[in-house]
Amino acid sequence: MIPLPTRGVASPPSVTLPLAYLGSAATAFVLAALSLPALGAELTGHYYQPRLLALVHVVALGWITLAILGASYQLIPVAIERPLWSERLARWQLGALVAGIVGMISHFWTGRWAGLAWAAALVGAGALAHVVNVALTLRAVARWTFTARCLALGLAGLALTVGFGITLAVTHGRDVFPGGVLAAVQAHFHVALLGWIAPMILGVAARVYPMFLLAPEPDGRGARIQLWGLGLGVPALAAGLLLGRVTLLVPGAAAVAVALAVHATWVIHFARRRKRPAVDSGLRFALTGTAYLVPGAALGFLLALGGRPRVAMAYAIVALGGWVSFTIVGMMLKIVPFLVWYRVYAPRAGREPVPMLAQLSWPSAERLAYGLLTGGTLALALAVTAGVRPAITASATAFAAGAVAFAAALGRTLLHLLPGPGRRPVPAPLPAEPR
Amino acid sequence: MSSPVGFATERHLDVREDIERGAEPFQRIVAAVGELGPDEALVLHVPFEPLPLYKVLGARGFAHRAERRAPGDWWIWFYRQAPASTSAPAAPSAAIAPPIPGDQGVIRLDVRGMEPPWPMVRALEALERLGPRGRLEVLHDRRPLFLYPQLDERGFCHATDEPEPGLVRIAIWREASQA
Repeated sequence: MIPLPTRGVASPPSVTLPLAYLGSAATAFVLAALSLPALGAELTGHYYQPRLLALVHVVALGWITLAILGASYQLIPVAIERPLWSERLARWQLGALVAGIVGMISHFWTGRWAGLAWAAALVGAGALAHVVNVALTLRAVARWTFTARCLALGLAGLALTVGFGITLAVTHGRDVFPGGVLAAVQAHFHVALLGWIAPMILGVAARVYPMFLLAPEPDGRGARIQLWGLGLGVPALAAGLLLGRVTLLVPGAAAVAVALAVHATWVIHFARRRKRPAVDSGLRFALTGTAYLVPGAALGFLLALGGRPRVAMAYAIVALGGWVSFTIVGMMLKIVPFLVWYRVYAPRAGREPVPMLAQLSWPSAERLAYGLLTGGTLALALAVTAGVRPAITASATAFAAGAVAFAAALGRTLLHLLPGPGRRPVPAPLPAEPR
Repeated sequence: MSSPVGFATERHLDVREDIERGAEPFQRIVAAVGELGPDEALVLHVPFEPLPLYKVLGARGFAHRAERRAPGDWWIWFYRQAPASTSAPAAPSAAIAPPIPGDQGVIRLDVRGMEPPWPMVRALEALERLGPRGRLEVLHDRRPLFLYPQLDERGFCHATDEPEPGLVRIAIWREASQA
């Protein structure tokens, strides 16, 4: 039997749904960044502390996961040419996710573990709803492209990450993991980073970067390396960490490194062969995010050689704050203006002059955000590695200022949704992008 | 109704009621296309564009053309593909939409290589200038999912096909000008 879609392709992808997720994610990003300068003492010590656990979960769940979900609801219909199975379910699950994330972070921050499992279960329910929703959407996919396969891989990674996290919450205080709690925490972190987040970035980059850079599509030769590298490498790496087995850890890490290297090669290929002469802030952020794979890999190598806890924190800062966050910031600076434009100006396009995407943005705020966030992240990683508290506070403050500048740029774009002054002026359209 | 693919015989199969009551029409469709001769086409009437079906029937040697006649009313022509030849792939100029009485010609718009939302803006601008019996043919890199709702709201019919890999062609005309 062939499952036939239940809705026509002419169903417009929702605009408010991804915006709700992306707005929640940006709020979490700013809150996490603003808390950084106050965590100077914790950042000079060990990573396994209540407030640092809270910070990591604000970033991983509140910022990164909600942003990926929001971007997915805009990009999945475009990437696989099918509407989302249920937008209503996606709206309900946002409530469950936000409530669960707030509950988890509150428990981590105050160091009270009773109730953490319930909050984690709420996040698990929201994540499960997303997995079901996207899995049923993918069921109707006509062509299993690289992006569609990455989405499927990422869904499995999300399910594993959340299941792992709930297990950690339920078993807190008991010695149930063969390599100990810290080994389990490291495995949980890597399943989230490489099993859930990485496939989503790789899949979206392959589809969207050529579209934005006006570059040729990838030739597909590296697709299998990326899929197999993550598909085999992440379970081996996580099992190696969990069991303390170097024979699993090293080949797993090597497979993941090869997959990410091929991804970086693709991005360089897009950038070099692009027809678009100028690169805007969104693309600059995304390309810089890819560049952060280099220090991330170097720190990961140091960590594998037995690096100190502060090296682990620097690794997390470069990976989550650099590679992942810059990629998401870059995509949001492209996606949000498009969604706002489509909502407000698409019905008027062709009938009257309408602004273009560049005219909805705030270039000076975006440039400020770029300088502060990229510089702040690198400086923070170095300061944390060295354990110098004044430098940590200064770089964290720069990062926080960058996050505020990014939020201001997004806010200015969102003002166009408001009737009246927010939409004015409507200048003459810019000339089309060169072919 | 004229055929957009020019076959001597068209067999019509309407599965909208099957789908509405939850029945699976796949076997009926497969049986119907299996009976097609070389110069025949099956016109399938469905409430939405059945994208998964294209792949399944394509693997069995059937090509297709899709046309959205009205909201919830899609006509899909399935026909046997010609044997492989050394000729070039279908030229983008081959008609994919029904002929229009008093046809004022086709305006072709190539928006490939443009960053969103330029393809949509250019297409909507061109449609505002389109005569009552004219037709716009847009050449695109991908299916423009965000454009379709704008066309629906403005009262345009549209048909989409992919004459060669990486090239999507959308024919757009006014509902009132349909034959």
